[in-house]
Amino acid sequence: MATLAFLFYYVTPYIAAAVFLGGMAYRVYRWWQAKPVAGHLSLYPRPHRRWGPFMEVLIETATLKMVFNAIKISGSALPITAGLALHGALFLVLVQHLPVFFHLPAIGGTTVWVALGTVMGLAFGAFLLYALAHRLEGRRKQLSIPQDYLSLLLLIGIAVTGLHIHFLHTLDPQELPRFFLGLATFNWQPIPQSAGSSFIWHFALVQILMVYFNFSKFSHMVGYVLAKMVAYS
Amino acid sequence: MLEKFTEVMRQRVSRPLQYFMDICIRCGLCADACHFYAYSRDVAHIPAYRALLVKKLLQSKGNPLLDWYRENQHPDERTAEELRKALWDCTGCRRCTLVCPFHLDTGLLVSTARYALLQEGMGMEMVAEIGNAEVSKGEIIDALKEFYVEQIRELEGRVRQDWGVPDLQIPVDKVGARVLYVPVVGEHAIIPMAKIFHAAKEDWTLSLFTATNHSFFVGDTEKAKQAARWIVEEARRLGVQTIAFAECGHATRTLFQFWDHWFGDEVAGIQRMSVVQLIASYLQEGRIRVKSGMVDVPLTYHDPCNLGRNVGIFEEPRMLIRAVATDFRELTPNRELNWCCGGGGGLIAEPDMKETRMKGGRKKVEQIQRTGAKWVVTGCENCKTQLADLNEYYKLGVEVKGVWDLVAEALVL
Repeated sequence: MATLAFLFYYVTPYIAAAVFLGGMAYRVYRWWQAKPVAGHLSLYPRPHRRWGPFMEVLIETATLKMVFNAIKISGSALPITAGLALHGALFLVLVQHLPVFFHLPAIGGTTVWVALGTVMGLAFGAFLLYALAHRLEGRRKQLSIPQDYLSLLLLIGIAVTGLHIHFLHTLDPQELPRFFLGLATFNWQPIPQSAGSSFIWHFALVQILMVYFNFSKFSHMVGYVLAKMVAYS
Repeated sequence: MLEKFTEVMRQRVSRPLQYFMDICIRCGLCADACHFYAYSRDVAHIPAYRALLVKKLLQSKGNPLLDWYRENQHPDERTAEELRKALWDCTGCRRCTLVCPFHLDTGLLVSTARYALLQEGMGMEMVAEIGNAEVSKGEIIDALKEFYVEQIRELEGRVRQDWGVPDLQIPVDKVGARVLYVPVVGEHAIIPMAKIFHAAKEDWTLSLFTATNHSFFVGDTEKAKQAARWIVEEARRLGVQTIAFAECGHATRTLFQFWDHWFGDEVAGIQRMSVVQLIASYLQEGRIRVKSGMVDVPLTYHDPCNLGRNVGIFEEPRMLIRAVATDFRELTPNRELNWCCGGGGGLIAEPDMKETRMKGGRKKVEQIQRTGAKWVVTGCENCKTQLADLNEYYKLGVEVKGVWDLVAEALVL
């Protein structure tokens, strides 16, 4: 049991991180290797910007042009805004995690910080459930394959365990930062105890996600900009 | 079953398609963009599903867990039928690409996979045959030339008589002309342009070839390039400054999006444009004049996918229409969000596809009916044919016209 715990807390996190980063590099390399199309597949109207396709994509993302197009085309704003909100909530949840990793003083005071975690965590979970319901509805159900559900269930699992940790009263605010900082600096600290078994589950699912990430449609995190640039080059 | 398809497809997966297979999250937004899905509600018509189907066939199989996880299919009759539907019932309009969060290109996927399907013997034979004819036309052009010129002379005589302009000319193969005009098949593509060129006192010449490029529809880029090469060679032989393509969607798209990559320096010094742009420049420069307000019939303009979304010609045709007509009504949505007419991607040339085309055009019909327009103007041969068919099929009671028809009728000499 002790060996297992040792592996889980002090070995597999490094493997997961390596697979995550290496997998990402592998993905980008694979795309780089694929042969380009002998043509340019632009979409219009396209203002010609000096900084090329990359800026084009950034500006299109910032102006939410694709969202407005989707609303105009589908006549319904809910799916696309929910999808966008899901990403926004996830981003803020990750930001909210930063003090856990880097021992930062919670910006804007602890109460505000905890409230951010509560609101965004719950929102993230709710939007994930919406996404699952949406996928089970009519045409998306026909379009979906097992890996689509697996991705969602994995995220839902992470959200549920994360929220559970968040609402635990036994949580020692110093313990987790100390542990993760120790992992990052190879100065290993004792296994955190105050978060209990939810932490084990949360940590395990995140490690699985990190390994799985680049070999699934999660790779759209990097692919988003790269694929979109094709339409503007 | 489908071995040849899989083999050819594996070799031809390009970078954008690799992105498609890797990062499509199957959010289903593209379904709302597809005019075929709009009528059928058939999953095979969802653009993301088309890619998924191809992906399932390309993935390695054998591991039961992975097969379940990827929902791998072993190719059977049902898959083949679904694949045929997914790849044939697409006009390559790229409306789904516009709405896709990653701009994944279903048009490219369909065109690449159609080529593989053709090798399997399930492709669009008729379209491919016309494409082959366009390629071989260049090899026998010397033999055809005399007959063609004779036909044009006869046409020239008729236009002179009908229009009452005895000095109108339709030059063919004229060395040193400024503009090489590449028509589509049929005299309806030559008559209005002859009038407009005459009015603009343009130094032009008619191409021996046609702009249409059916190999492009079936994804056969080698043949598509060869068919276009005849025009490049002709332009260089005649020493023209400008190549103007007739109102033809896919040809204009090849001109703008592929010629640079296909021919590079060979065409670097030659200006390339659609005639719609050329006519608009005549009007702006005052080289032609039109009777403004001549048309008081309510009319609308259909943005062809290839001229609009894919090439970026939105304002020139509108400018020309507004110069002539008083009651111009926009379709909703319009410009890059416009619905496809349902006839593109080579479907027009495939007789079996008539029924599908008519159903796929329902969205267009609704759009036109909502405007109450009596004339539908457009800048693409494919759209014109499809719109005329829709008009007959749904008894719309509209008249379909090209932008050039409108301008030619309103010319002031």
